[in-house]
Amino acid sequence: MTGLVHRARRATKAIALAAVLAVTAVVVPQSAVQPTDVSLVKIRHAEGVAVGGADVVWILAVGSDARPGQDMRHARGDALQLVGINTRTGSATAIGVPRDSWVSIPGHGREKINSALYFAGPQGMAGAMRNLTGIEPDYVMVTRFPFFEDMVDDIGGITVTNPRRFYDPYLKKEGFKRGRIHLDGYNAMAFSRIRKGLAGGDFDRSANQQRTLRGIHARIRSQAAKPGFIERGVMTVMEHMATNASPAELYELAQAVAQVDPRRITTCVVQGRIGFVGAASVVFPDVAQARRLGREARPDAALKHC
Amino acid sequence: MPPRRAGLVLALVLALTGTACTSQSVPSASPERLSRNDAQASLASHPLATTTKIHRVHGRLPDARRKAVRVQVGKVVDRWWDAAYLGGTYPRSSFPDAFPGFTRAAVRRARSDKALLTNQTRGPHVDSVTATHRTVAIDILATGKQARAVTAHFVLKFDSSGDKAGTTTVRGRLFLTRKRGAWRVFGYAVAKGSK
Repeated sequence: MTGLVHRARRATKAIALAAVLAVTAVVVPQSAVQPTDVSLVKIRHAEGVAVGGADVVWILAVGSDARPGQDMRHARGDALQLVGINTRTGSATAIGVPRDSWVSIPGHGREKINSALYFAGPQGMAGAMRNLTGIEPDYVMVTRFPFFEDMVDDIGGITVTNPRRFYDPYLKKEGFKRGRIHLDGYNAMAFSRIRKGLAGGDFDRSANQQRTLRGIHARIRSQAAKPGFIERGVMTVMEHMATNASPAELYELAQAVAQVDPRRITTCVVQGRIGFVGAASVVFPDVAQARRLGREARPDAALKHC
Repeated sequence: MPPRRAGLVLALVLALTGTACTSQSVPSASPERLSRNDAQASLASHPLATTTKIHRVHGRLPDARRKAVRVQVGKVVDRWWDAAYLGGTYPRSSFPDAFPGFTRAAVRRARSDKALLTNQTRGPHVDSVTATHRTVAIDILATGKQARAVTAHFVLKFDSSGDKAGTTTVRGRLFLTRKRGAWRVFGYAVAKGSK
């Protein structure tokens, strides 16, 4: 008898709970609401930023291989991603360029694109990227790998989707497994730098850098509402990154990044063929593809296909 | 959610709904009513003031400048609230100048989100609004002893009387930088709900 009463009470409670949840589900249609604040209240969200005069902002992100004590703005640029953010639509795109791409560097003739930073600084790298893609970046941000590791650690690590298992005998002996993996600062650096273990070499590495960017973005977006998160991030960037952006501009860019819709991120890597210039192994980039990507992404920071 | 708490939530919601209904008798805080100098207006002559506090300063900023930023940003938020929700004549459906203190580009962006960033959806069905909660907490980014950027976390609650009587909560963040010598809103992340 006691068991029956107990079961009946449990059933009544379960029905009551189910009813409340059902009502809540009907009246609160969006998953992003805060349940403790808004039970049975219809909530709608809006977000938007307007940075400068144009809808799309272009940032050239450069990972410098500068050694300790070396000026990172005049070393080789090993990771090269041209990132566009559309503050009107919330879309974003990244065009990756293999570091060995043989390109025209303003005032320095033809060289590997990674040497543009060494020869001509951030402006020269921006010029080389403009020559290749037709897009002149609004900002150039140069960082070195140790800071990159610290930055990823500071935001609590990132999660990336790795399409294949790969390893490197020096940077990651045990390798990265396939699938969704969480990376701390060191592993994010290794994931972005390893080339030899990848079938597609430099092209696959550039694609991995874009997976890392997606992971960083997802983390920033999820934390952006925490009081002080963006401000702390901007302070860290100012301490460790060389950029032509002012503190206020960095803040505006950070808010713009936080509002990018992850479903509206598109990425491509400029393809090419491996060859030699003298004894040096280089990539002869598919300039026509690079120009097409530039034309397609310039107005709205969105790529339809690579 | 435990069943007892679920029941509590329902009871709370019913209680709030009841409160919302009685709020029809709450006097208007709109300037138009004040100008009529009637009895109701006198009750609204001491509107709820906004409480603005500094959550944290990131970087160095002298105390006097902290206070100045707090006051200036508080005024920017107040001007938006007054233009978009609390001020003006009700009922109305038009909110033409709802974004004072926004950059020109942000105004264009905000106009497409008017349903949330103003009281436009309920405005035609409301006789008056009365603020019941106005708080702003700011995070300041400072370099070279100058404030460069501010995130204003805010909560605004107001009661409406009329056909659509109820309580509306607007909360979220405004992003501000200094343009042409004044703090201006260049972006926002806002949620609005009514019951």
